[in-house]
Amino acid sequence: MKTIRVTINRERYEETVPERMLLVDFIREKCGLTGTHVACTYEGVCGACTVQLDGEAIKSCMMLAVQADGHAVTTVEGLASGTELTPLQQAFKAHHGLQCGFCTPGILMNMSEFLEKNPDPTDEEIRHGLVGNLCRCTGYVHIVDAVRAAAAQMRRGG
Amino acid sequence: MYPANIEDYQRPASLQEAVAILRGYEPGDAIFMAGGQSVMQAMKSRMVRPRCVVDLQAIAELKGITVDEGLRIGAMTRYVEIAGAGEISSANAALRDAARHVGDRQVRNRGTIGGSCCWNYVASCMPAVTLGLGAAFHLLDAQGKTRVVNAGDFFLGPLETARTDHEVLTHLVFDAAPRTGSAYRKWGLVTDALPVVGVCMKVSLDAAGRCSAARMSLSGLPAGAQRVQAGEKALLGSDGSRESVARAMEAVVDAVECHTDKWADANYRQQLIRTLGQEVAATAFARARGEA
Repeated sequence: MKTIRVTINRERYEETVPERMLLVDFIREKCGLTGTHVACTYEGVCGACTVQLDGEAIKSCMMLAVQADGHAVTTVEGLASGTELTPLQQAFKAHHGLQCGFCTPGILMNMSEFLEKNPDPTDEEIRHGLVGNLCRCTGYVHIVDAVRAAAAQMRRGG
Repeated sequence: MYPANIEDYQRPASLQEAVAILRGYEPGDAIFMAGGQSVMQAMKSRMVRPRCVVDLQAIAELKGITVDEGLRIGAMTRYVEIAGAGEISSANAALRDAARHVGDRQVRNRGTIGGSCCWNYVASCMPAVTLGLGAAFHLLDAQGKTRVVNAGDFFLGPLETARTDHEVLTHLVFDAAPRTGSAYRKWGLVTDALPVVGVCMKVSLDAAGRCSAARMSLSGLPAGAQRVQAGEKALLGSDGSRESVARAMEAVVDAVECHTDKWADANYRQQLIRTLGQEVAATAFARARGEA
């Protein structure tokens, strides 16, 4: 067992965990932040567990919780301030970018970093950015619409 | 899929500390963790069951890209950094081609060139590209001794390399010769998937624009990353024309064994080698001429 300190959504968590615990289980089970989802069986193929580690999108089933000791994690709960959604979240709502919504937290955490790096992406770049996130409902068309609209909104300063 | 019990986790701050930890364990009982995008999968499927994980994330000297006489890339340099590295010149541009299309954004934010090469998965891109570029692999052992292994001697076959359990790969060095260009392209079942076949080519041109030196390698076949010297020889003297490249790619097809599986039959793989060969040759020759 190791005692680790991880900052999640600007809040500090100190927990003693088994070395083999995956970061996604630390987030969900130790910290109670269940917005981060597990859709495959921790194989790293679905992207639903995507969070940001020090601001970069990563799959939280693909690292051990102990590796995150001393780092800052942002989960989907850390996007909105109170009830005020980010432009990306609002765009997903406005453009029907989700149906069942299970994959949405991972897509939001991936695309929010993507838009920071590439504020004016082409549709092809958006689709290339989404490769690591499986959605079994939408066929991605509305997701791409939402990301494109969010990018435009954010460029207008919204 | 979940890792078996792990007894200890260490995060050394220096290379010396990292190799010293490994010395305290029997071979295989402690494992280096770079980006973890392969090793975590292997741990979860219980293909490896380390007693101790030695995480290399805190060792600054393992990270980064520098250009001196050649190109030096730290073993812990991530795909995302290689994909966007403007300091990688035409001679080694195949590294960028490959890094931009490994896995997905999340994998590229974590996965490293050194981790991929040391794991040497049968269908990964980086072993084939570093082999095609003729990289030099720099290793450090617990006694502080360094040795340099050429790519051709480093990759011994799928999941096997010349690195011993008690050595750490510190960095890779690539020649950056003038009038030289390289390129890599793969074909996979879905976007950025592991290659069914990938082709890496590096060409140097003489003053008349003809190929004076060539290296060629393939990814995706059962032998893992493999260099194809028959293709290299056939490319010598080529001006990059489709006819001359086609002859070289026929030599490649004749020299390698393509397999049939449910994803692609042998004929299809051979056709991929021909088609991808034309594409990478066009890019590599253009880069060598300074046109791309």
